[in-house]
Amino acid sequence: MRRIIIDADKCKACKNCSVACMRAHAPEGVTFSLSDPQFESRNTILQDGEKQYKPLFCRHCAKPSCANACVSGALAKDPNTGHVLYNPDICAKCFMCVMNCPFGVLKPDRLTNTYVVKCDFCAADGSEPNCVANCPSKAIYVKEVE
Amino acid sequence: MKHVIIGSGAAGISAAKTLREKSTQDEIIILSADEFVYSRCMLHQFISGERQTEVLSFIPDDFLEKNNIEFRPNIAVTGIDTVNQMVKFDGGSESYDRLLIATGAKSAFPQIVGLRDTKNVYGLRDLEDARAIRDKATQSNNIVIIGAGLVGLDAAYGLLEIGKTSTIIEMSNAILSTNLDLHAASTYHIKFEEAGCAFHLGMKVKRVLSNASGEIEAIVTDHDERIACDLLIVATGVHPTLDFLSDSGIKTNRGITVNEYLATSAPNVYAAGDVTGLSESWPSAVQQGEIAALNMLGIETAHPDTFLPKNTIHFFGVPSLSIGQFIPEAGDTKDSREDRMRYQKVILRDGIPVGVILQGDISRSGFWQQLILNKVDVTSMPKSIWKVSFADSYHIDENGEYYWTMSV
Ligand SMILES: Cc1cc2nc3c(=O)[nH]c(=O)nc-3n(C[C@H](O)[C@H](O)[C@H](O)COP(=O)(O)OP(=O)(O)OC[C@H]3O[C@@H](n4cnc5c(N)ncnc54)[C@H](O)[C@@H]3O)c2cc1C
Repeated sequence: MRRIIIDADKCKACKNCSVACMRAHAPEGVTFSLSDPQFESRNTILQDGEKQYKPLFCRHCAKPSCANACVSGALAKDPNTGHVLYNPDICAKCFMCVMNCPFGVLKPDRLTNTYVVKCDFCAADGSEPNCVANCPSKAIYVKEVE
Repeated sequence: MKHVIIGSGAAGISAAKTLREKSTQDEIIILSADEFVYSRCMLHQFISGERQTEVLSFIPDDFLEKNNIEFRPNIAVTGIDTVNQMVKFDGGSESYDRLLIATGAKSAFPQIVGLRDTKNVYGLRDLEDARAIRDKATQSNNIVIIGAGLVGLDAAYGLLEIGKTSTIIEMSNAILSTNLDLHAASTYHIKFEEAGCAFHLGMKVKRVLSNASGEIEAIVTDHDERIACDLLIVATGVHPTLDFLSDSGIKTNRGITVNEYLATSAPNVYAAGDVTGLSESWPSAVQQGEIAALNMLGIETAHPDTFLPKNTIHFFGVPSLSIGQFIPEAGDTKDSREDRMRYQKVILRDGIPVGVILQGDISRSGFWQQLILNKVDVTSMPKSIWKVSFADSYHIDENGEYYWTMSV
Protein backbone atom coordinates (compact mmCIF):
# COMPACT_ATOMS: atom_id res chain seq x y z
CA MET A 1 0.00 0.00 0.00
CA ARG A 2 0.95 3.66 -0.31
CA ARG A 3 1.80 5.33 2.98
CA ILE A 4 2.92 8.82 3.94
CA ILE A 5 6.40 8.28 5.36
CA ILE A 6 7.58 10.69 8.05
CA ASP A 7 11.12 11.95 8.46
CA ALA A 8 10.57 13.84 11.71
CA ASP A 9 14.10 15.27 11.83
CA LYS A 10 13.36 17.30 8.71
CA CYS A 11 10.15 18.83 10.06
CA LYS A 12 10.41 22.55 10.80
CA ALA A 13 6.77 22.86 11.89
CA CYS A 14 5.94 25.30 9.10
CA LYS A 15 2.47 23.71 9.12
CA ASN A 16 2.06 23.92 5.37
CA CYS A 17 0.83 20.33 5.61
CA SER A 18 -1.92 21.32 8.04
CA VAL A 19 -3.05 24.27 5.99
CA ALA A 20 -3.05 22.13 2.84
CA CYS A 21 -5.15 19.54 4.63
CA MET A 22 -7.64 22.14 5.87
CA ARG A 23 -8.00 23.48 2.34
CA ALA A 24 -8.33 20.05 0.78
CA HIS A 25 -11.17 19.14 3.14
CA ALA A 26 -13.01 22.44 2.98
CA PRO A 27 -16.79 22.19 3.11
CA GLU A 28 -18.27 22.99 -0.28
CA GLY A 29 -18.99 26.61 -1.04
CA VAL A 30 -17.26 28.04 2.03
CA THR A 31 -14.46 30.54 1.56
CA PHE A 32 -11.26 29.32 3.12
CA SER A 33 -10.08 31.09 6.24
CA LEU A 34 -7.46 29.90 8.69
CA SER A 35 -9.40 31.29 11.61
CA ASP A 36 -12.72 29.65 10.66
CA PRO A 37 -13.19 26.62 12.97
CA GLN A 38 -15.05 24.79 10.21
CA PHE A 39 -11.69 24.11 8.64
CA GLU A 40 -9.79 21.42 10.46
CA SER A 41 -6.59 19.62 9.68
CA ARG A 42 -6.40 15.82 9.84
CA ASN A 43 -2.73 16.05 10.72
CA THR A 44 -0.89 18.01 13.38
CA ILE A 45 2.62 18.59 14.62
CA LEU A 46 3.43 17.75 18.23
CA GLN A 47 6.50 18.51 20.31
CA ASP A 48 8.29 16.16 22.66
CA GLY A 49 9.87 17.18 25.98
CA GLU A 50 12.99 18.42 24.16
CA LYS A 51 10.85 20.61 21.91
CA GLN A 52 11.57 18.38 18.91
CA TYR A 53 8.83 18.37 16.27
CA LYS A 54 6.92 15.11 15.89
CA PRO A 55 4.46 15.08 12.97
CA LEU A 56 1.25 13.21 13.74
CA PHE A 57 -0.31 11.74 10.61
CA CYS A 58 -2.78 8.86 10.31
CA ARG A 59 -0.74 5.74 9.47
CA HIS A 60 -3.61 3.80 7.87
CA CYS A 61 -2.30 1.04 10.13
CA ALA A 62 -1.92 -2.56 9.01
CA LYS A 63 -4.09 -3.44 12.00
CA PRO A 64 -6.24 -0.37 12.48
CA SER A 65 -7.44 -0.09 16.09
CA CYS A 66 -9.93 2.58 15.03
CA ALA A 67 -11.71 0.27 12.59
CA ASN A 68 -11.51 -2.52 15.14
CA ALA A 69 -13.39 -0.36 17.63
CA CYS A 70 -15.94 0.93 15.12
CA VAL A 71 -19.47 -0.25 15.98
CA SER A 72 -21.07 0.91 12.73
CA GLY A 73 -18.65 -0.10 9.98
CA ALA A 74 -18.06 3.58 9.17
CA LEU A 75 -14.31 3.02 9.51
CA ALA A 76 -12.96 0.20 7.40
CA LYS A 77 -9.75 -0.75 5.69
CA ASP A 78 -10.11 -0.69 1.93
CA PRO A 79 -8.88 -4.13 0.80
CA ASN A 80 -7.57 -2.69 -2.47
CA THR A 81 -5.68 0.39 -1.36
CA GLY A 82 -5.07 -0.56 2.29
CA HIS A 83 -6.27 2.86 3.36
CA VAL A 84 -8.60 3.16 6.33
CA LEU A 85 -11.55 5.17 5.07
CA TYR A 86 -14.36 6.84 6.97
CA ASN A 87 -17.99 7.12 5.93
CA PRO A 88 -19.69 9.85 7.98
CA ASP A 89 -23.14 8.86 6.72
CA ILE A 90 -23.22 5.58 8.66
CA CYS A 91 -21.13 6.73 11.64
CA ALA A 92 -22.78 6.26 15.06
CA LYS A 93 -20.85 9.21 16.53
CA CYS A 94 -19.81 7.11 19.52
CA PHE A 95 -16.14 8.10 19.17
CA MET A 96 -14.88 4.67 20.20
CA CYS A 97 -12.32 5.18 17.39
CA VAL A 98 -11.02 8.39 18.98
CA MET A 99 -10.39 6.59 22.26
CA ASN A 100 -8.82 3.57 20.58
CA CYS A 101 -6.39 5.19 18.14
CA PRO A 102 -3.16 4.30 20.00
CA PHE A 103 -1.42 7.43 18.75
CA GLY A 104 -4.12 10.00 19.39
CA VAL A 105 -4.57 10.97 15.75
CA LEU A 106 -8.36 10.99 15.55
CA LYS A 107 -10.72 13.66 16.83
CA PRO A 108 -14.38 14.60 16.70
CA ASP A 109 -15.06 17.70 14.62
CA ARG A 110 -14.58 20.85 16.67
CA LEU A 111 -17.87 22.61 16.03
CA THR A 112 -20.55 19.94 16.19
CA ASN A 113 -19.05 16.71 17.55
CA THR A 114 -20.95 14.86 14.85
CA TYR A 115 -18.23 13.32 12.74
CA VAL A 116 -14.65 12.13 12.93
CA VAL A 117 -11.85 14.17 11.42
CA LYS A 118 -9.87 11.50 9.59
CA CYS A 119 -7.21 11.36 6.86
CA ASP A 120 -8.58 9.96 3.59
CA PHE A 121 -5.25 10.09 1.74
CA CYS A 122 -7.00 12.70 -0.41
CA ALA A 123 -8.48 9.56 -1.96
CA ALA A 124 -11.04 11.23 -4.18
CA ASP A 125 -8.18 13.11 -5.75
CA GLY A 126 -6.17 10.06 -6.78
CA SER A 127 -2.89 11.98 -6.87
CA GLU A 128 -0.44 12.83 -4.10
CA PRO A 129 -2.04 13.77 -0.77
CA ASN A 130 -2.16 17.56 -0.41
CA CYS A 131 -0.07 17.59 2.77
CA VAL A 132 2.77 15.82 0.98
CA ALA A 133 2.55 18.05 -2.07
CA ASN A 134 2.90 21.11 0.15
CA CYS A 135 5.75 20.02 2.43
CA PRO A 136 8.78 22.17 1.55
CA SER A 137 11.26 20.16 3.65
CA LYS A 138 10.54 16.65 2.38
CA ALA A 139 9.66 15.62 5.94
CA ILE A 140 6.74 13.67 4.50
CA TYR A 141 6.66 11.68 1.28
CA VAL A 142 4.65 8.84 -0.19
CA LYS A 143 6.15 5.38 -0.45
CA GLU A 144 4.85 1.97 -1.41
CA VAL A 145 5.17 -0.28 1.66
CA GLU A 146 4.23 -3.84 2.68
CA MET B 1 -11.95 -27.65 7.13
CA LYS B 2 -15.46 -26.66 8.20
CA HIS B 3 -15.86 -23.77 10.64
CA VAL B 4 -19.18 -23.12 12.32
CA ILE B 5 -19.75 -19.87 14.18
CA ILE B 6 -22.72 -19.35 16.48
CA GLY B 7 -23.67 -15.68 16.57
CA SER B 8 -23.31 -12.78 14.13
CA GLY B 9 -22.32 -10.00 16.51
CA ALA B 10 -18.99 -8.25 16.84
CA ALA B 11 -17.09 -11.43 17.75
CA GLY B 12 -18.75 -13.79 15.26
CA ILE B 13 -18.30 -11.49 12.26
CA SER B 14 -14.74 -10.59 13.20
CA ALA B 15 -13.93 -14.31 13.42
CA ALA B 16 -15.50 -15.03 10.03
CA LYS B 17 -13.56 -12.17 8.48
CA THR B 18 -10.27 -13.40 9.94
CA LEU B 19 -10.94 -17.02 8.89
CA ARG B 20 -11.50 -15.89 5.33
CA GLU B 21 -8.47 -13.61 5.28
CA LYS B 22 -6.25 -16.51 6.33
CA SER B 23 -7.91 -19.31 4.41
CA THR B 24 -9.51 -19.10 0.99
CA GLN B 25 -10.59 -22.76 1.00
CA ASP B 26 -12.23 -23.44 4.35
CA GLU B 27 -15.98 -23.61 4.70
CA ILE B 28 -17.45 -20.91 6.99
CA ILE B 29 -21.00 -21.11 8.29
CA ILE B 30 -22.61 -18.60 10.66
CA LEU B 31 -25.71 -19.69 12.55
CA SER B 32 -27.44 -16.72 14.10
CA ALA B 33 -30.61 -16.03 16.02
CA ASP B 34 -30.57 -12.59 14.40
CA GLU B 35 -32.61 -11.97 11.25
CA PHE B 36 -29.69 -10.13 9.66
CA VAL B 37 -26.29 -8.82 10.75
CA TYR B 38 -26.69 -5.72 12.89
CA SER B 39 -24.83 -3.76 15.54
CA ARG B 40 -26.37 -3.75 18.99
CA CYS B 41 -24.54 -0.55 19.88
CA MET B 42 -26.82 1.43 17.60
CA LEU B 43 -30.20 0.13 18.76
CA HIS B 44 -30.99 3.38 20.58
CA GLN B 45 -30.56 5.15 17.24
CA PHE B 46 -33.18 2.79 15.85
CA ILE B 47 -35.52 3.72 18.71
CA SER B 48 -34.95 7.40 17.97
CA GLY B 49 -35.76 6.89 14.31
CA GLU B 50 -32.33 8.17 13.35
CA ARG B 51 -31.55 4.79 11.81
CA GLN B 52 -33.82 2.32 10.05
CA THR B 53 -33.05 -1.40 9.91
CA GLU B 54 -31.09 -1.03 6.64
CA VAL B 55 -28.42 1.04 8.36
CA LEU B 56 -28.06 -1.03 11.52
CA SER B 57 -25.55 -3.30 9.84
CA PHE B 58 -21.85 -2.89 10.53
CA ILE B 59 -20.57 -4.77 7.49
CA PRO B 60 -20.63 -3.80 3.80
CA ASP B 61 -23.65 -5.12 1.89
CA ASP B 62 -21.56 -7.58 -0.12
CA PHE B 63 -19.42 -8.77 2.81
CA LEU B 64 -20.97 -12.23 3.26
CA GLU B 65 -21.21 -13.02 -0.43
CA LYS B 66 -17.81 -11.67 -1.33
CA ASN B 67 -16.14 -13.64 1.44
CA ASN B 68 -18.10 -16.79 0.66
CA ILE B 69 -19.56 -16.98 4.16
CA GLU B 70 -22.77 -18.95 4.54
CA PHE B 71 -25.05 -16.91 6.77
CA ARG B 72 -28.07 -18.69 8.23
CA PRO B 73 -30.36 -16.22 9.99
CA ASN B 74 -33.12 -16.90 12.52
CA ILE B 75 -31.49 -20.03 13.91
CA ALA B 76 -31.44 -20.42 17.66
CA VAL B 77 -28.96 -23.09 18.64
CA THR B 78 -30.36 -25.39 21.34
CA GLY B 79 -27.45 -27.68 22.07
CA ILE B 80 -23.95 -28.86 21.20
CA ASP B 81 -22.86 -32.50 20.93
CA THR B 82 -19.14 -32.18 21.55
CA VAL B 83 -18.49 -35.92 21.05
CA ASN B 84 -19.91 -36.11 17.54
CA GLN B 85 -19.08 -32.46 16.84
CA MET B 86 -22.63 -31.40 16.03
CA VAL B 87 -24.56 -28.20 16.66
CA LYS B 88 -28.28 -28.71 17.26
CA PHE B 89 -31.15 -26.35 16.58
CA ASP B 90 -34.88 -26.51 15.95
CA GLY B 91 -35.42 -28.50 12.78
CA GLY B 92 -31.83 -29.47 12.14
CA SER B 93 -28.20 -29.84 13.02
CA GLU B 94 -24.82 -28.96 11.59
CA SER B 95 -21.50 -30.74 11.96
CA TYR B 96 -18.26 -28.88 12.55
CA ASP B 97 -14.51 -29.35 12.48
CA ARG B 98 -14.02 -26.17 14.49
CA LEU B 99 -16.75 -24.38 16.40
CA LEU B 100 -16.85 -20.82 17.72
CA ILE B 101 -19.43 -19.84 20.30
CA ALA B 102 -20.00 -16.08 19.98
CA THR B 103 -23.49 -15.79 21.42
CA GLY B 104 -22.84 -12.60 23.34
CA ALA B 105 -24.96 -11.71 26.31
CA LYS B 106 -28.58 -11.07 27.11
CA SER B 107 -30.30 -8.60 29.39
CA ALA B 108 -30.15 -9.76 32.99
CA PHE B 109 -33.45 -9.03 34.71
CA PRO B 110 -33.22 -8.43 38.46
CA GLN B 111 -35.36 -10.41 40.91
CA ILE B 112 -38.43 -8.21 41.12
CA VAL B 113 -41.84 -9.52 42.14
CA GLY B 114 -44.15 -9.73 39.15
CA LEU B 115 -41.55 -8.72 36.56
CA ARG B 116 -41.45 -11.87 34.45
CA ASP B 117 -45.18 -12.21 33.87
CA THR B 118 -45.93 -8.58 33.12
CA LYS B 119 -46.49 -7.18 29.63
CA ASN B 120 -44.73 -4.13 28.19
CA VAL B 121 -41.49 -4.92 29.99
CA TYR B 122 -38.35 -5.09 27.83
CA GLY B 123 -34.59 -5.25 28.00
CA LEU B 124 -32.53 -3.51 25.33
CA ARG B 125 -30.18 -5.93 23.65
CA ASP B 126 -31.80 -7.28 20.50
CA LEU B 127 -33.54 -5.67 17.56
CA GLU B 128 -36.83 -7.18 18.74
CA ASP B 129 -36.42 -5.25 22.00
CA ALA B 130 -35.78 -2.00 20.16
CA ARG B 131 -38.74 -2.60 17.83
CA ALA B 132 -41.07 -3.31 20.73
CA ILE B 133 -39.84 -0.27 22.66
CA ARG B 134 -40.24 1.98 19.63
CA ASP B 135 -43.75 0.70 18.92
CA LYS B 136 -44.96 0.92 22.51
CA ALA B 137 -43.27 4.22 23.26
CA THR B 138 -45.41 6.20 20.85
CA GLN B 139 -48.47 5.22 22.93
CA SER B 140 -46.78 5.51 26.32
CA ASN B 141 -47.05 8.38 28.75
CA ASN B 142 -45.15 6.94 31.66
CA ILE B 143 -41.93 5.30 30.56
CA VAL B 144 -39.71 3.98 33.35
CA ILE B 145 -36.16 2.75 32.89
CA ILE B 146 -34.38 0.71 35.55
CA GLY B 147 -30.66 1.38 35.45
CA ALA B 148 -28.82 4.63 34.71
CA GLY B 149 -25.83 2.96 33.10
CA LEU B 150 -24.91 3.40 29.45
CA VAL B 151 -27.64 1.19 28.01
CA GLY B 152 -30.36 2.71 30.20
CA LEU B 153 -29.33 6.22 29.23
CA ASP B 154 -28.97 5.21 25.57
CA ALA B 155 -32.62 4.16 25.75
CA ALA B 156 -33.63 7.39 27.49
CA TYR B 157 -31.73 9.45 24.93
CA GLY B 158 -33.25 7.62 21.97
CA LEU B 159 -36.71 8.16 23.43
CA LEU B 160 -36.11 11.88 23.94
CA GLU B 161 -35.50 12.17 20.21
CA ILE B 162 -39.07 10.99 19.57
CA GLY B 163 -40.40 13.38 22.18
CA LYS B 164 -40.73 10.90 25.04
CA THR B 165 -39.31 11.56 28.48
CA SER B 166 -38.57 8.81 31.00
CA THR B 167 -38.25 8.28 34.70
CA ILE B 168 -35.01 6.50 35.53
CA ILE B 169 -34.55 4.46 38.68
CA GLU B 170 -30.98 3.70 39.73
CA MET B 171 -29.79 1.88 42.81
CA SER B 172 -26.47 3.71 43.17
CA ASN B 173 -26.34 7.35 44.14
CA ALA B 174 -25.18 8.61 40.76
CA ILE B 175 -25.84 7.96 37.10
CA LEU B 176 -23.13 6.30 34.95
CA SER B 177 -21.37 5.33 38.17
CA THR B 178 -19.31 2.57 36.58
CA ASN B 179 -18.05 4.92 33.88
CA LEU B 180 -17.66 8.39 35.32
CA ASP B 181 -16.96 10.23 38.55
CA LEU B 182 -19.69 12.31 40.10
CA HIS B 183 -18.48 15.51 38.53
CA ALA B 184 -18.46 14.22 34.95
CA ALA B 185 -21.72 12.31 35.46
CA SER B 186 -23.48 15.41 36.73
CA THR B 187 -22.98 17.08 33.35
CA TYR B 188 -25.26 14.47 31.80
CA HIS B 189 -27.53 14.26 34.83
CA ILE B 190 -28.37 17.96 34.46
CA LYS B 191 -28.85 17.72 30.70
CA PHE B 192 -31.20 14.74 30.96
CA GLU B 193 -33.23 16.60 33.61
CA GLU B 194 -33.34 19.74 31.51
CA ALA B 195 -34.67 17.61 28.67
CA GLY B 196 -37.49 16.40 30.91
CA CYS B 197 -36.22 13.11 32.35
CA ALA B 198 -36.47 12.41 36.08
CA PHE B 199 -33.98 10.40 38.13
CA HIS B 200 -34.67 8.45 41.30
CA LEU B 201 -31.23 7.57 42.63
CA GLY B 202 -30.30 5.28 45.49
CA MET B 203 -33.48 3.30 44.92
CA LYS B 204 -34.43 -0.18 43.81
CA VAL B 205 -37.60 -1.38 42.18
CA LYS B 206 -39.27 -3.80 44.58
CA ARG B 207 -42.45 -4.73 42.74
CA VAL B 208 -44.25 -4.17 39.49
CA LEU B 209 -48.04 -3.84 39.36
CA SER B 210 -50.15 -4.77 36.37
CA ASN B 211 -53.71 -4.17 35.23
CA ALA B 212 -56.38 -6.78 34.42
CA SER B 213 -54.83 -7.46 30.99
CA GLY B 214 -51.47 -8.15 32.57
CA GLU B 215 -49.93 -4.91 31.31
CA ILE B 216 -47.61 -2.96 33.55
CA GLU B 217 -49.33 -0.15 35.42
CA ALA B 218 -46.84 0.98 38.04
CA ILE B 219 -43.60 0.14 39.77
CA VAL B 220 -43.01 0.29 43.51
CA THR B 221 -39.60 1.26 44.86
CA ASP B 222 -37.95 0.02 48.03
CA HIS B 223 -38.86 3.42 49.47
CA ASP B 224 -42.49 2.38 48.91
CA GLU B 225 -42.92 5.01 46.28
CA ARG B 226 -45.39 4.13 43.55
CA ILE B 227 -44.54 5.40 40.09
CA ALA B 228 -47.00 5.08 37.23
CA CYS B 229 -45.58 3.10 34.31
CA ASP B 230 -46.95 1.86 31.00
CA LEU B 231 -43.59 0.85 29.48
CA LEU B 232 -40.69 -0.52 31.51
CA ILE B 233 -37.18 -0.85 30.15
CA VAL B 234 -34.83 -2.97 32.23
CA ALA B 235 -31.20 -1.98 31.78
CA THR B 236 -29.53 -3.46 34.82
CA GLY B 237 -26.74 -5.31 33.06
CA VAL B 238 -26.20 -8.39 30.97
CA HIS B 239 -25.41 -12.05 31.44
CA PRO B 240 -23.48 -14.25 28.99
CA THR B 241 -25.83 -16.26 26.73
CA LEU B 242 -25.02 -19.86 27.55
CA ASP B 243 -28.32 -21.50 28.49
CA PHE B 244 -28.09 -23.82 25.47
CA LEU B 245 -24.82 -25.32 26.75
CA SER B 246 -26.26 -27.14 29.75
CA ASP B 247 -26.00 -30.67 28.27
CA SER B 248 -22.82 -30.07 26.33
CA GLY B 249 -20.31 -30.61 29.13
CA ILE B 250 -18.56 -27.38 28.14
CA LYS B 251 -17.24 -25.77 31.30
CA THR B 252 -18.63 -22.43 32.34
CA ASN B 253 -18.14 -20.01 35.19
CA ARG B 254 -19.89 -16.66 34.82
CA GLY B 255 -19.27 -17.02 31.09
CA ILE B 256 -17.78 -19.84 29.04
CA THR B 257 -14.45 -20.82 30.55
CA VAL B 258 -11.64 -20.31 28.04
CA ASN B 259 -7.86 -20.56 28.15
CA GLU B 260 -5.51 -17.93 26.76
CA TYR B 261 -6.12 -19.25 23.24
CA LEU B 262 -9.86 -18.83 23.77
CA ALA B 263 -10.33 -22.61 23.59
CA THR B 264 -13.13 -24.04 25.75
CA SER B 265 -12.94 -27.29 27.74
CA ALA B 266 -14.28 -29.22 24.70
CA PRO B 267 -11.97 -30.17 21.83
CA ASN B 268 -12.17 -27.90 18.76
CA VAL B 269 -14.63 -25.57 20.45
CA TYR B 270 -13.70 -21.93 21.02
CA ALA B 271 -15.53 -18.94 22.49
CA ALA B 272 -15.17 -15.18 21.98
CA GLY B 273 -16.86 -11.93 22.94
CA ASP B 274 -19.32 -11.13 25.73
CA VAL B 275 -20.15 -14.83 26.14
CA THR B 276 -16.74 -15.43 27.74
CA GLY B 277 -17.48 -12.92 30.49
CA LEU B 278 -13.95 -11.55 29.93
CA SER B 279 -15.32 -8.23 28.70
CA GLU B 280 -18.52 -6.45 27.76
CA SER B 281 -17.33 -4.22 24.96
CA TRP B 282 -17.37 -4.09 21.20
CA PRO B 283 -13.61 -3.68 20.57
CA SER B 284 -12.81 -6.57 22.93
CA ALA B 285 -15.34 -8.79 21.17
CA VAL B 286 -13.79 -7.94 17.79
CA GLN B 287 -10.32 -8.67 19.10
CA GLN B 288 -11.36 -11.96 20.69
CA GLY B 289 -13.14 -13.03 17.50
CA GLU B 290 -9.94 -12.51 15.57
CA ILE B 291 -7.77 -14.35 18.11
CA ALA B 292 -10.18 -17.29 18.33
CA ALA B 293 -10.24 -17.56 14.52
CA LEU B 294 -6.44 -17.67 14.32
CA ASN B 295 -6.35 -20.47 16.88
CA MET B 296 -9.11 -22.34 15.04
CA LEU B 297 -6.80 -22.31 12.03
CA GLY B 298 -3.91 -23.62 14.11
CA ILE B 299 -2.13 -20.26 14.21
CA GLU B 300 -1.37 -20.18 17.92
CA THR B 301 -2.21 -16.72 19.26
CA ALA B 302 -2.59 -15.86 22.93
CA HIS B 303 -5.15 -13.40 24.20
CA PRO B 304 -3.57 -10.50 26.12
CA ASP B 305 -4.35 -10.73 29.82
CA THR B 306 -4.41 -6.97 30.34
CA PHE B 307 -7.97 -5.85 30.75
CA LEU B 308 -8.72 -2.18 30.97
CA PRO B 309 -12.29 -0.97 31.44
CA LYS B 310 -12.94 1.80 28.95
CA ASN B 311 -15.83 3.54 27.29
CA THR B 312 -16.89 6.58 25.40
CA ILE B 313 -20.12 8.40 26.13
CA HIS B 314 -21.81 10.91 23.89
CA PHE B 315 -25.09 12.60 24.80
CA PHE B 316 -26.32 16.13 24.04
CA GLY B 317 -23.25 16.90 21.94
CA VAL B 318 -20.92 16.39 24.91
CA PRO B 319 -18.45 13.55 24.37
CA SER B 320 -16.63 11.84 27.25
CA LEU B 321 -14.10 9.13 27.57
CA SER B 322 -13.23 7.06 30.60
CA ILE B 323 -10.36 4.59 30.83
CA GLY B 324 -9.26 2.57 33.85
CA GLN B 325 -9.68 3.64 37.43
CA PHE B 326 -11.20 7.04 38.04
CA ILE B 327 -11.53 6.92 41.83
CA PRO B 328 -8.15 7.27 43.59
CA GLU B 329 -7.00 4.56 46.01
CA ALA B 330 -4.90 5.26 49.10
CA GLY B 331 -1.52 6.62 47.98
CA ASP B 332 -2.73 7.66 44.52
CA THR B 333 -2.60 11.25 43.42
CA LYS B 334 -5.18 13.04 41.35
CA ASP B 335 -4.66 15.78 38.85
CA SER B 336 -7.58 17.57 37.27
CA ARG B 337 -8.43 20.73 35.44
CA GLU B 338 -11.55 22.29 34.13
CA ASP B 339 -12.85 25.18 32.10
CA ARG B 340 -16.15 26.10 30.53
CA MET B 341 -15.78 23.56 27.73
CA ARG B 342 -14.06 20.62 29.33
CA TYR B 343 -13.15 18.56 32.36
CA GLN B 344 -10.05 16.40 32.57
CA LYS B 345 -8.90 14.17 35.39
CA VAL B 346 -6.12 11.66 35.73
CA ILE B 347 -5.31 9.28 38.57
CA LEU B 348 -1.60 8.59 39.08
CA ARG B 349 0.08 5.76 40.98
CA ASP B 350 3.81 6.36 41.46
CA GLY B 351 3.73 8.80 38.58
CA ILE B 352 2.03 6.34 36.24
CA PRO B 353 -1.52 7.00 35.05
CA VAL B 354 -4.01 4.29 36.03
CA GLY B 355 -7.13 6.05 34.87
CA VAL B 356 -8.39 9.09 33.03
CA ILE B 357 -11.64 10.91 32.41
CA LEU B 358 -11.93 13.46 29.62
CA GLN B 359 -15.15 15.33 28.99
CA GLY B 360 -16.14 18.00 26.50
CA ASP B 361 -12.98 17.78 24.45
CA ILE B 362 -11.67 14.32 23.60
CA SER B 363 -9.69 15.38 20.54
CA ARG B 364 -6.58 13.35 19.77
CA SER B 365 -6.81 11.61 23.13
CA GLY B 366 -6.29 7.98 22.05
CA PHE B 367 -2.75 7.89 23.44
CA TRP B 368 -4.05 7.90 27.04
CA GLN B 369 -4.93 4.23 26.86
CA GLN B 370 -1.36 3.49 25.82
CA LEU B 371 0.13 5.60 28.62
CA ILE B 372 -1.85 3.45 31.05
CA LEU B 373 -1.15 0.09 29.36
CA ASN B 374 2.55 0.83 28.85
CA LYS B 375 2.89 2.19 32.39
CA VAL B 376 4.53 5.41 31.27
CA ASP B 377 5.85 7.58 34.10
CA VAL B 378 4.41 10.91 33.02
CA THR B 379 5.57 12.88 36.03
CA SER B 380 9.22 12.44 35.10
CA MET B 381 8.71 14.21 31.79
CA PRO B 382 9.94 17.76 31.31
CA LYS B 383 6.44 19.03 30.57
CA SER B 384 3.03 19.39 32.11
CA ILE B 385 1.06 16.15 32.28
CA TRP B 386 -1.61 17.78 30.11
CA LYS B 387 0.93 18.30 27.34
CA VAL B 388 2.04 14.65 27.23
CA SER B 389 1.23 12.89 23.95
CA PHE B 390 2.52 10.23 21.59
CA ALA B 391 5.33 12.69 20.75
CA ASP B 392 6.95 11.66 24.04
CA SER B 393 7.21 8.05 22.95
CA TYR B 394 7.52 8.64 19.22
CA HIS B 395 8.70 5.58 17.29
CA ILE B 396 8.37 4.72 13.61
CA ASP B 397 9.16 1.30 12.14
CA GLU B 398 10.65 0.45 8.73
CA ASN B 399 7.19 0.39 7.16
CA GLY B 400 6.40 3.85 8.41
CA GLU B 401 4.02 2.69 11.14
CA TYR B 402 4.05 4.25 14.59
CA TYR B 403 4.60 2.04 17.62
CA TRP B 404 4.84 2.30 21.38
CA THR B 405 7.60 0.70 23.39
CA MET B 406 6.99 -0.74 26.81
CA SER B 407 9.48 1.47 28.61
CA VAL B 408 9.77 5.15 27.96
C1 LIG C 1 -27.80 -0.25 23.34
C2 LIG C 1 -26.39 -0.76 23.45
C3 LIG C 1 -25.33 0.12 23.31
C4 LIG C 1 -24.01 -0.33 23.39
N1 LIG C 1 -23.00 0.58 23.22
C5 LIG C 1 -21.72 0.16 23.28
C6 LIG C 1 -20.65 1.07 23.06
O1 LIG C 1 -20.85 2.28 22.82
N2 LIG C 1 -19.37 0.59 23.13
C7 LIG C 1 -19.12 -0.72 23.39
O2 LIG C 1 -17.95 -1.11 23.44
N3 LIG C 1 -20.10 -1.61 23.58
C8 LIG C 1 -21.40 -1.20 23.54
N4 LIG C 1 -22.41 -2.12 23.74
C9 LIG C 1 -22.04 -3.53 24.03
C10 LIG C 1 -21.72 -4.28 22.73
O3 LIG C 1 -22.86 -4.27 21.93
C11 LIG C 1 -21.30 -5.71 23.04
O4 LIG C 1 -20.19 -5.72 23.89
C12 LIG C 1 -20.95 -6.48 21.76
O5 LIG C 1 -22.03 -6.50 20.88
C13 LIG C 1 -20.49 -7.89 22.08
O6 LIG C 1 -20.32 -8.62 20.90
P1 LIG C 1 -20.54 -10.19 20.85
O7 LIG C 1 -20.24 -10.61 19.45
O8 LIG C 1 -19.81 -10.84 21.95
O9 LIG C 1 -22.09 -10.41 21.16
P2 LIG C 1 -23.39 -9.85 20.45
O10 LIG C 1 -23.07 -8.65 19.65
O11 LIG C 1 -24.42 -9.77 21.50
O12 LIG C 1 -23.80 -11.00 19.43
C14 LIG C 1 -24.31 -12.23 19.84
C15 LIG C 1 -24.84 -13.00 18.65
O13 LIG C 1 -25.19 -14.31 19.04
C16 LIG C 1 -26.49 -14.62 18.59
N5 LIG C 1 -27.07 -15.64 19.45
C17 LIG C 1 -27.30 -15.60 20.78
N6 LIG C 1 -27.79 -16.77 21.22
C18 LIG C 1 -27.87 -17.59 20.14
C19 LIG C 1 -28.28 -18.93 19.93
N7 LIG C 1 -28.71 -19.72 20.93
N8 LIG C 1 -28.22 -19.43 18.68
C20 LIG C 1 -27.76 -18.67 17.64
N9 LIG C 1 -27.35 -17.40 17.79
C21 LIG C 1 -27.40 -16.88 19.02
C22 LIG C 1 -27.20 -13.30 18.61
O14 LIG C 1 -28.37 -13.37 17.83
C23 LIG C 1 -26.10 -12.40 18.05
O15 LIG C 1 -26.02 -12.51 16.67
C24 LIG C 1 -23.75 -1.71 23.65
C25 LIG C 1 -24.81 -2.59 23.79
C26 LIG C 1 -26.11 -2.15 23.69
C27 LIG C 1 -27.23 -3.15 23.82
